[in-house]
Amino acid sequence: MSKVEPLVYGDRKVFTVSAFNRGVAMWLRKLPEVWIEGELTELRRNDAWASVFFTLKDPQTGATLAATMQRRRFDALELELTEGEKVHVQGRGEIYEQKGELAFRATTIERFGLGEHLAALERLKRELAAEGLFADERKRPLPRLPRAVGVLTGADAAARGDIVTAIGTRFPPARIVVAETRVQGAGAAGAIASSLAALAAHPHVDVVVVTRGGGSFEDLLPFSDERVVRAFAGCPVPVVSAVGHEQDTPLCDLAADVRASTPTAAARLVVPDLDELLAGLARTRERLTTGVRRLAERDRVRLSRARERLRTAPLLLLERRRAAVAATGGRLRALSPRATLDRGYSIVRAGGVVLRDSSATGVGDHVDVELARGSLIATVDDVRAP
Amino acid sequence: MTESDQPSFEQAERELGEIVARLEQGDVGLDEAIELWRQGESLHRRCLALLDAAEGRIEELTRDDSPPAGQE
Repeated sequence: MSKVEPLVYGDRKVFTVSAFNRGVAMWLRKLPEVWIEGELTELRRNDAWASVFFTLKDPQTGATLAATMQRRRFDALELELTEGEKVHVQGRGEIYEQKGELAFRATTIERFGLGEHLAALERLKRELAAEGLFADERKRPLPRLPRAVGVLTGADAAARGDIVTAIGTRFPPARIVVAETRVQGAGAAGAIASSLAALAAHPHVDVVVVTRGGGSFEDLLPFSDERVVRAFAGCPVPVVSAVGHEQDTPLCDLAADVRASTPTAAARLVVPDLDELLAGLARTRERLTTGVRRLAERDRVRLSRARERLRTAPLLLLERRRAAVAATGGRLRALSPRATLDRGYSIVRAGGVVLRDSSATGVGDHVDVELARGSLIATVDDVRAP
Repeated sequence: MTESDQPSFEQAERELGEIVARLEQGDVGLDEAIELWRQGESLHRRCLALLDAAEGRIEELTRDDSPPAGQE
C-alpha cells in the first residue's frame, strides 16, 4: 500500500480520488472490530465469488449497511441464514477503493434470534428472582377505593380506550391519571420506567395499571427490560400489569403486585363496582339500624321484667314478715302465764305481791286469787308451815 | 379540614363493619350501643360523601420522554 501523498499547487494540497479513498481505507483499518446487530437481507452468494454480499438493516429505523464476508468463512459457519433473520455481525468498516463505497467487512456472523433472546431473558429472570424482586412477600394488596388510578399506556388509542372505558364503566366516579408513553422500540424501556415513576409520584395516585395491547415477542421486550422490571418492583404504590396477551409473560408481570390478563380484568382489580358498593353500604346501614334496635328492645324487655319484680317485691316481703310474726306470737303464747292458768293453776297475791311462801301471810288476811277466768277475794283461815 | 383528618373510604368502611359486628354480637350496653350506632351512621355518611366527592375525571400526565431543556 503506497503512502497517501497530496499534490501541491502553491499553498493548496490536493488529493487524487485514489489517494483519498486509500487514506480513508487505511484509517478504517486502524479502527477496532465491533459487533453490529441487524436484520440480514439481500444475501448474495455465488460459488464463483470470493466474497458473499448482504445488507444489514436496522428494524427500528430502516437504516441499512452494505456488508461483505469472505465466502469460505461464511460457508464454514454453516448458518443457513434466511432473509430477515436477526444477526450479530463482527467486523469493521471497509471502503471499496475503486468506488469509494463503504461496506462492513464481517469476520463472523451469529444468529441472534428468539432463542438467544429467551436465554438472555431467562438469565435476567434468574438474577432478579435471586434478588427477591419477584417474591410473594413483596406483593401488596390493592386499595379498595383509590383516590386516583394511574394508567400507563402506549400512545395507541385502542389500548388506552380499553382500560379507561373499563374503569369508567365499573366505577363512574373514578379519577384516572393517564400517562401515554413510548412502549416499544428504542428508548421505550427508559420511557416506561420514568413514566411509571412520574405516575406514582402524583399525590393522589394510589395504584397504577400498566397496559399494552398484544404484540410480537420483540414488541413486548421493553417490558422485560431490567430497568422496567426494577421500576415495577420499586414503585411506591401497587402496580397491576396488563401487558400483552394471556400467553405472554414479560418479566414486569413477575415484579408487578398483580397481573391482569385483560384491561377489563385490570379494571376489576383497581376499582370497585359502584352498584355493588352502594348496595353493600345500604345493607351495612340496615344491619347497623337493626343491630341497635335489637339491643334497645332487649334492654326494654329486661327493664320491664325488672319493674315487675320491683312491684311484687314489697308484697312478698310483707307476706314473709306476717308469717314470721305469727310464728313468734305462737312461741310467745306458749310462754304466757295465761296458758298455765288454763291448765288449772291459780295465782295468789297479797297486797299486789304474788305469794310464794305461806308464812308471808297471816290468819284473817285477804288475798286475791286469779283464775283462768275471773278472780276471787279469799280470807286466810289457817296458815301451815311448809 | 384536610383529607388526612378524615378516614379514607377503606378505613371508614372497615370501621363501619366492625361496629355492625359489635352491635350484632350484642354484648354491649345500651349507652354504648347508641354511641356505636351514632358512629356507624357518621361513617356511613362519610363513605357516601367520599363517593359523591369523586368526580370521575380523566387527567393527562403530560410528560415528554425526552424533555427539552428547562421543561419537565
